[in-house]
Amino acid sequence: MTLQYHLKLSPGDVAPYVLLPGDPGRVPLVASLWEESHEVASNREYTTFTGTYRGVPISCTSTGIGCPSTAIALEELARVGATTFVRIGTCGTFQDRVHPGDMAIFDSAARYDGASRLYAPVEFPAVADHDVVEASIAAGRELGFPVHVGTTRTADAFYAMHPRPGSSFGDYWQSWWRGHFEDLKRMNVVAAEMEASVILVLARIWGLRAGGVAVVLDNVLDVSGESGEFDPNEQLVHGGDEIERLARFGSETVRILAERDAAA
Amino acid sequence: MSLQYHLQVAPGDVAPLVLLPGDPGRVEVIASLWEEARHVASRREYVTFTGMYRGVPISCTSTGIGSPSTAIALEELARVGATTFVRIGTCGSLQDRVRVGDVAIFDSAIRADGASALYAPAEYPAVAHHEVVDAAIEAASALGTPHHVGTTFSTDLFYVPEPGSAFGGYEQSAWRERYADVARTGALAAEMETGVLLVLARIWGLRAGAVALVADVAEERDETGAFDPQATFDVSAEPIERLARLGCETVRILAERDRVRSTD
Repeated sequence: MTLQYHLKLSPGDVAPYVLLPGDPGRVPLVASLWEESHEVASNREYTTFTGTYRGVPISCTSTGIGCPSTAIALEELARVGATTFVRIGTCGTFQDRVHPGDMAIFDSAARYDGASRLYAPVEFPAVADHDVVEASIAAGRELGFPVHVGTTRTADAFYAMHPRPGSSFGDYWQSWWRGHFEDLKRMNVVAAEMEASVILVLARIWGLRAGGVAVVLDNVLDVSGESGEFDPNEQLVHGGDEIERLARFGSETVRILAERDAAA
Repeated sequence: MSLQYHLQVAPGDVAPLVLLPGDPGRVEVIASLWEEARHVASRREYVTFTGMYRGVPISCTSTGIGSPSTAIALEELARVGATTFVRIGTCGSLQDRVRVGDVAIFDSAIRADGASALYAPAEYPAVAHHEVVDAAIEAASALGTPHHVGTTFSTDLFYVPEPGSAFGGYEQSAWRERYADVARTGALAAEMETGVLLVLARIWGLRAGAVALVADVAEERDETGAFDPQATFDVSAEPIERLARLGCETVRILAERDRVRSTD
């Protein structure tokens, strides 16, 4: 197995530790925090940079949106030698105690996606590696971020499942969506995003390590307000430095992991 | 809410940190390791002792076998003030490297049970609290117990699903590769209570984890599939006492870390 079909990577092109944002446009931004970096490949939604962060070899590959493209990225990254995956992304929250700008650390995910079920039945837990969770907590503490450790809801739909018609095109709606967000809130689910579950499931079944951190952009229950209207351009606030803080959070998590691995 | 219907415990009867074996007969064995212990209640399969272990208030309540009776125990323990649950039980190994006499620390569970699905859909992860996992790892390391951290297969069935295991040779075609498929996901072991424990604690914002002594190895059964737990399970006094000690030490480490954090 040499050059990977989608990611255009070969063994030696990536570090054992890989950061996984969704957006290919964010990869150069993440790499700009490293003391050394170079672009390895760009194909479709997959952009990869490899470099060194505070002395630790590190890579960053975008997954695209959603679990199908993320599963492909993981399969191909694992084949070229990646062993530890840290998703860095944005999320919404279901909890009033979690505020925009806070950071979420995912120790697990609720599996409302399709791809992970094709690998392991839905009863199988999407659970982060303990080492990655602990390293993320240490990184958050060191950077002074307000962090929340908990479960994310990973779903394959962005515009669907809101409690009232208006989020999906043409007011399309299903009755089971009505209580879905409130149910997730009651189940103590911290975040909503679209990639974590398949990352956690695949790493676990392969005996590799994964985790995830995310910056909170909105409270999805507030955003899905009385009108039901959902305009992410208006309602999801990407301020100035969230993505840079997120990139720093992911890079520091990798550094702490690498240092602990070297000491073990 | 005062006296609980099944457990016959009232507020003040149990410590915040509770050990959960399945077998009511083991509660007294566990409490014999404490410097101080009193019998609180016995009803059906539920026996509760409360006392002090190395200066830490501690309780132990048996859950009975399986997720239904365990869910009842958790509901009633939470109502009288329990906040942290550590299951201590036995399990069967699904991996060659996990040997009889080793200890498995469960950070997550495959939810092959009925009760947890009535609280939260199957997509929801059965995941342990990272502080409990970390305390269990430290306790096992300090005690010199060979241990493995990973996922358990929590099933409502003891005598199935394996051809040759159920009475009269009853089997279903879907069982043929059931355990083999579970083993391929990397799950460490099989037992019967952890899934519902982790789901309920997570929903309620409480803490839970589980440690288990490996009592047999599913893969070592003969080709007929014949299953005689009386002959193959090693649940002699010495390993059970080691398990009890591991549970108590996990609780002690958790309580000490909680104390340090609260005085920070």
